[in-house]
Amino acid sequence: MLMGLSNRAKGASLCTAIALCVAGCATTPVPNEQLAVAKSSVQRAEASGAPELAPVEMSTARQELASAEKATADGMAQPARQWAEKANVDAQLAEATARERRSHKAAAEFDASMAALRQESQRSPQPAQ
Amino acid sequence: MKTKLLTGMGLALALGACASVPQPNAALENARAAVQTAEADPNVTRYAPLDLDVARKDLNNADNAAMHHQDADVAQSAYLAMQNARLAQAHGAAKADDARVASGQVERDQIMLAARTRDANNANMAAANSRQVADAALSQRDQANQETARVQAELDALKATPTPRGMVLTLGDVLFDTGRAELKSGASRTLDQLTQFLTEHPDRRVQIDGFTDSVGTDSYNEELSQRRANAVREALISRGIDSSRIGTEGYGKSYPVADNNDSGGRQLNRRVEVVIGGDNGTPISPRTGG
Repeated sequence: MLMGLSNRAKGASLCTAIALCVAGCATTPVPNEQLAVAKSSVQRAEASGAPELAPVEMSTARQELASAEKATADGMAQPARQWAEKANVDAQLAEATARERRSHKAAAEFDASMAALRQESQRSPQPAQ
Repeated sequence: MKTKLLTGMGLALALGACASVPQPNAALENARAAVQTAEADPNVTRYAPLDLDVARKDLNNADNAAMHHQDADVAQSAYLAMQNARLAQAHGAAKADDARVASGQVERDQIMLAARTRDANNANMAAANSRQVADAALSQRDQANQETARVQAELDALKATPTPRGMVLTLGDVLFDTGRAELKSGASRTLDQLTQFLTEHPDRRVQIDGFTDSVGTDSYNEELSQRRANAVREALISRGIDSSRIGTEGYGKSYPVADNNDSGGRQLNRRVEVVIGGDNGTPISPRTGG
């Protein structure tokens, strides 16, 4: 009887361990979709001028995408998913940084033109006598 | 024995998953700081709240993973939280700059419109000033024309006629008795008109030239013509005209205007001519030639 109980406990523990393992494996399927999303984000960043305006972020995203592809090819689903997520966020960051720098430059040029315009308008000739 | 080992591993896994005190994790704390920085950025809360939500969710995932000691997941989620926080700030900054330029366009348009309006006003004022100047010039010219016309009318009233020396007013023989130099009262009206004209035009000079017919000696005629010229001069002086403005000359029988062979011609030749000078006060040249 004691022995039987012990066996049942053993069985339950084993089931728990297997369940945990299965659950862990279930969250890391082969990440084709995430890889595709990451690729798309990198391509969009490349097309948005990020290679020139945000080269560091762009380079990071490319390396992460390459790592994700390699991990996928090696059948390492979990690292592949993580690299793909990183590549995706860094590609977005590259694109956003490029946009931020473009907007900043445009705003600075606008400010300069406004300053010139204000100065010119204050210095305009007074009505003729 | 093998079964026991497996059971131990299962328990260890279960214990690890249930542990509730997370270890300090540098990556996680950096991510938390990044999210907090983004939360404090007004551009993020205004322009990139959705990006911030993603970063917060990542941070939450990282915290949960840390609570369960899933270090790999902590690192991954912390990284995603950090990068999404930066992404939110980049988006916020870009949109804030764009918004500033967009609202500035309105101000720029207003300034340019005001400048154009002011330029137009200035142009209008300049045009108005030009018109004023032109009007003033026209007015001056009109005044000058009116003045000329008035002088001409006055000279016409004196029955003056134009000659190369100036306007000439002729006082005829009838104003003097024969052989005498005293003006008769009939000359008064003409002399009053001349005086008025000279008073109104103080810059003008007059030259009074006396002439006779050919009857009598030259010396007598010259003396008589001089005395008659002097008589007119005295008449003007007595009416208030400054003597310095009046020149006289007796030419005797010289410069006849008619034939001395008949009495009518002789009467025309017995005369006093008053030459009226220009308004610049220049002296009147003496009579020469025919």
